[in-house]
Amino acid sequence: MKRIEILNFKSPNRAPLIVEGFLFGEESKGPSLAIVGAMSGDHINQLYVASHLVEYLRQKEEEGKISGKILVIPAVNTYALNMGQTFWPLDKTDINMMFPGYAQGETTQRIAAKLFESLQGYDYGVILEGRRDQGMCLPYVKIIKSDYEDMESARDLGMRFIHYRPYSPIETVMLQYNWQLWGTKALSVVFGKNGVIDHNASSEVQGALVRLMSKRGILDLPVFDGFQSNIIQPENITILKASYAGIFDSLLPCGSAIEKGDILGRITDALSGKKLEKIIAPVGGVLTCQYSYPLIFQNSIAFRIASVE
Amino acid sequence: MSMGVIEEVFSIDLPVGEQFRIQRCRYIPKSGETLKRISIVSGIHGDELEGQYVCFLLGEWLRANSEKIKATIDIYPAINSLGIDSITRSVPFYDVDLNRIFPGSKNDFLPAQIADGVVNAMKGSEIAIDIHSSNIFLREIPQVRIAKSQAKTLVPLANKLNIDFVWIHDAVTVLESTFAHAMNTLGTKTLVVEMGVGMRLGKAYGHQLLDGILNLMAEEGFLDIAPLDVRMPIQSEIGEVAYLNASCPGLFVPAIEHCQMIQKGDIVGQIVDPLSGVTLDEVIAPIGGILFTLRAYPIVYEGSLVGRIFGENG
Repeated sequence: MKRIEILNFKSPNRAPLIVEGFLFGEESKGPSLAIVGAMSGDHINQLYVASHLVEYLRQKEEEGKISGKILVIPAVNTYALNMGQTFWPLDKTDINMMFPGYAQGETTQRIAAKLFESLQGYDYGVILEGRRDQGMCLPYVKIIKSDYEDMESARDLGMRFIHYRPYSPIETVMLQYNWQLWGTKALSVVFGKNGVIDHNASSEVQGALVRLMSKRGILDLPVFDGFQSNIIQPENITILKASYAGIFDSLLPCGSAIEKGDILGRITDALSGKKLEKIIAPVGGVLTCQYSYPLIFQNSIAFRIASVE
Repeated sequence: MSMGVIEEVFSIDLPVGEQFRIQRCRYIPKSGETLKRISIVSGIHGDELEGQYVCFLLGEWLRANSEKIKATIDIYPAINSLGIDSITRSVPFYDVDLNRIFPGSKNDFLPAQIADGVVNAMKGSEIAIDIHSSNIFLREIPQVRIAKSQAKTLVPLANKLNIDFVWIHDAVTVLESTFAHAMNTLGTKTLVVEMGVGMRLGKAYGHQLLDGILNLMAEEGFLDIAPLDVRMPIQSEIGEVAYLNASCPGLFVPAIEHCQMIQKGDIVGQIVDPLSGVTLDEVIAPIGGILFTLRAYPIVYEGSLVGRIFGENG
């Protein structure tokens, strides 16, 4: 294992921002994979999975099991992680909205440029992503239709769901899109709830990453097969919104199989305690995603259900 | 004197005994509401307050001159109302930049629903003027920014606004998520004004833009007044914009005032180290021209924008 400095960025008064990478194996021996962890300060679960993976790979390297090259960057925005913030602490910009970066540009564009440079030339790329809302979800693969996407490596993760959809304008400045355009088979694994560690989701994601490495000949280890992934397109998802604002109680965990008519959650008035709403499943399927903060806004998305057509 | 009518155009319950709301003040001709309509908008970013003052000045003028109103005039001073009242640029709680989520959707999270509510309220307006300050970091001269693809339609309109600079930029996909792009796509000619600095207001700029809005409304048939004598903005097409980014972290101390004509080689400011007392770097103008952007917030990292200069070709 080599511990390398991806970037070292001075601050006016704080100790420098140092982004570190952990490098395993050698390129000449097989395919290469880069994994990027927390780009936001609230993606703590992503940091957790990435750092666990570093320790796991260190052991596997000692055992002589690494047959390709692997780079793991557990955290990019350590400045935000160290102060409980989400974005770049000075100007609140999101590093994952700055790709491909610009070496002569603004601070976070320069950070993105330097990071992106270190990610070039890898055969496969995995971005460990948290949520961009107050939700939590079953771990899933997010892959956008850029015309450069690679579904085979997405399937090799063996995760239950692959969310496959067109990209939105803001995604053109995110890492996945740009990494794909620059020739790496990049995808995102989205999981957990921001700010906390979900141990089940973490071990599922780590298992999926090990499976990908094994199936792609980067790790010389036998693994169990995962799921035969279901490809979910936007039309397979039913969105259930809260008709009222108030206190939100979810009655079922993500991953539950549900029938039409099941009660999924309740909303009560935050002041009077009056029962305002029962949120009822209009279709059967799997509960993939839910709101995860005790106070809910009117019309917020409370649940997402994935259904088979 | 006649008052505009204050209406709530979007309301959504917050969890604990409050609503997120967007209000507008609507002024109509004595003869009644018209289909012809203009929307004046500010506060999409909660830390940008220059537009609030312009909205006040315009409302004050319309109350005193109601007989001059020929078409419907809507004023929306505070789109991100929660943000404005709490010094929060993004949509609070969600931490999402509202101006990167347009046109929004009813089936998505709160920021997207707000965007959708804004679009629905303003849809059908002939013209919209979206007033931004800069952020808290930069001070800007009054300017309108226009995507190249919209230049033919929007530049003639921008020239009526009594601003100093019209900046035509290349189309960038990410900007398709802005209010202006969404409204222009729907056929509302939408101008984005940037002026001043975040979290502050500059009275002079407010009055300058008020004159521009009155002039535009006179020329476009919203007000029955003679057009005002307005300044012709510098057009970015005739020159180039130079960006001045900090070469190192430190405290940026400007050496000159904002909005000055400067020569190539002039010192724009110093980056100094308060700990050692050492001047780390001098920011030098790479071209001559007008310093139309100057950093207002002194702490800089490597790469922080400290200024922009527009220089004419030749």
